[in-house]
Amino acid sequence: MTRLRRAGLAPERGPLAVAAEGPGGLRLTALDPEASALGLRPGEPLGRVRARIGVPLRVHPADPAADREALLRLCRWAGGYAPIVAPFGPAEAADGLYVDVAGASHLRGGEMRLVDDLAGRLARARIPARIALADIPGGAFALARYGATDRVVVPPGGAAEAVRGLPVEALRLDPGTVSGLRRLGLRRIGELDALARGPLARRFGEALLLRLDQAVGRRPEPLAPLTDAADYSAARGFLDPIDGQADLVATARALMAELAPRLERDGIGACGLRLVLHRVDGVVRALDIGLSRPERCPGRVAALVSLRLDRLGAALDAGFGFETVALAVTVTGAMPARQTDLGAAPAGDGIGFLADALAQRLGRPLLCLGARASHIPERAARPFPWAAATPDSVRPWPDHLPPRPLVLFPRGEAALDVLSIVPEGPPRRFRWRAQVHRVAHAEGPERIAAEWWREPGARSAEAAAGPAQGHASRQGAGSGQARDYYRVECEAGRRLWLYRDGPHAPGRPAAWFVHGLFA
Amino acid sequence: MGLDPADETERARGPGSSRERLAALRARLSGPGGPAVPHPVLPLGLPGVDTHLPGGGLALGPPHEIAPAEPADGVAAFGFALALCGRHLARIPGAALIAAAPGQPLPHGHGLAGLGLDPARLLLLEAGGDAEVFRALEAALHARTLPVLIGLLGGGLPLKPGRRLQLAAEGASPPLVLILRPAEAGLPNGAATRWRIASAPAARDRFGGLDNPRWRARLERCRNGRGGDWLLEWDHAAHRLRLPEPLARDAAAAGRARA
Repeated sequence: MTRLRRAGLAPERGPLAVAAEGPGGLRLTALDPEASALGLRPGEPLGRVRARIGVPLRVHPADPAADREALLRLCRWAGGYAPIVAPFGPAEAADGLYVDVAGASHLRGGEMRLVDDLAGRLARARIPARIALADIPGGAFALARYGATDRVVVPPGGAAEAVRGLPVEALRLDPGTVSGLRRLGLRRIGELDALARGPLARRFGEALLLRLDQAVGRRPEPLAPLTDAADYSAARGFLDPIDGQADLVATARALMAELAPRLERDGIGACGLRLVLHRVDGVVRALDIGLSRPERCPGRVAALVSLRLDRLGAALDAGFGFETVALAVTVTGAMPARQTDLGAAPAGDGIGFLADALAQRLGRPLLCLGARASHIPERAARPFPWAAATPDSVRPWPDHLPPRPLVLFPRGEAALDVLSIVPEGPPRRFRWRAQVHRVAHAEGPERIAAEWWREPGARSAEAAAGPAQGHASRQGAGSGQARDYYRVECEAGRRLWLYRDGPHAPGRPAAWFVHGLFA
Repeated sequence: MGLDPADETERARGPGSSRERLAALRARLSGPGGPAVPHPVLPLGLPGVDTHLPGGGLALGPPHEIAPAEPADGVAAFGFALALCGRHLARIPGAALIAAAPGQPLPHGHGLAGLGLDPARLLLLEAGGDAEVFRALEAALHARTLPVLIGLLGGGLPLKPGRRLQLAAEGASPPLVLILRPAEAGLPNGAATRWRIASAPAARDRFGGLDNPRWRARLERCRNGRGGDWLLEWDHAAHRLRLPEPLARDAAAAGRARA
């Protein structure tokens, strides 16, 4: 409807309908508000409608392909709000789209503003829309279609409660199930949810429970995001469905071998791959594989696929087998031509493959240590994911630091019952981790001042709290005071890194913390 | 074949060739890989310690188990493992992998300098459990790109993963594999050696300040070798372990007493 009006194919005013071939001749499929006001409903036969109403009705033939195209255009436009956009499938009547705004709403100044902005732009483009924002796709769909208002924003965790009052049509069920539920007098989702699940499943099938769970968030619902068609992809269909890891790995190797010459011709390699597995019963599984460096060697890709399948194990659920396997390159990176056979592999090549293998096998990144521009010990170093080229944010290691402990605690751990001979000197005895440590030797102090450009609130709060809060604030690092660090050796031979939080002040108990251990 | 006693040609060679035949027989007995090649080792550079170890050093390939003498000595055991890692890395290029179970300490980048290690040559993996540590070490063993692998376990080293590590390490140019585990008594496993490390008062420099770290290392179990108990000192600049001379230690102590 909107598509026809926007394209200038239909007049702006007057009742308008779209009809398609259905059982028993042409039937209405979509109506504009004026036609609905005449009492028309989708699904009525066109002949009876023409006879019933007295006003002229403009009828256009349905064109599902053009509708789909228009929806995809809208999806691509909505990609400006968030990267993950999924058009409605056939279950949702294919007339809307999901936008996953998780982590993207702050760019528009909050969820409410985002919805207002989206609605305003759609209205300016003369696209009538109903918008709902919730933390469950199914719940958001139900609220958008059957909610009380055009714009609904449900706070996190409130979607399950918000959909209870909606009619059962909002569950994305097939019409037969809906009419069956209505015959039983079940009109609201809340009523349905209160019933025992077993009889419902026996009577209406597992699909009803699945939709119900998706609407209230008991079962996750993955969106099928719209992605641009990959420039490099290959697929292979099988007459006899394949299952088993060896077959899948061999197929992935063959597909990559098909892609490799095309990648090589363009001087690029794959940094991200997606292996899409179409199961015989229509279920599609997609495995995304990220690589630490551009790669086009079929053997290595096959090895990574094998490791990934190892990790998935039974979760892959081949069912009756896969009939189509497709491999697409989702991310590419420049990969200059390199002599592969002669000479040694460049340094780090093996580590790159190991990093990829661990990422596929365990799902965990390989880290390495980097220095940061800070002299606060817990901020001065951090692990970052290993990459073939060290990122620019990593600083070189300073070589003039006083001794630092081998193991540093993220926060200082309070040392209690501290006994010092001189009030501003190192401790002589203290209790830490339920053990009394007698200090045989101490070196220091090394004073490390707080970074005054950070945490101004914590700093002033500490000053205002005064000595009375001394014990309450014994949470260790981050109090915003200068620290005096001492290296001490206990009589047992253990070496610790202790600090006193804040300078010595008469009348105030000194707060001591253990911050690290030396080898 | 030469083993057949009825083979006339073999017999015709006479008794002078019996030594060769014996060598051929031994080669056949030692398995399909041909004559046993001497296993690569990492010598500790201390004759007193190396003679206790088979082959004159820590064998590369099979895992070596390092446990603290008491729970509080965990950092000392970690330091000893990193000292061995530093010694190996000083001899060959490459990087070391530390795979840590949750709750196990990761090294502080600035503190590695005190042990003479370059933080850039250290890779870390925060595993989700002991099983993932074993899987990561196995993957790294198969990849054969890293010369040192260190696993920090939350529990012990059971027999099965130990044996799997041992099998994965077989082949050319094996890495040094060190397994750190908590202080509890260990069950028999595939480890080649088991060390118990306790902290010891550090060496003193000439002004009485803390200098090189020292550990009391007890070689509790050693396959085809002898156990032992030593006080070891790690010289981070030279990347070598030392047996501190008792005289020097006494002199430093005397100096402290005077001061």
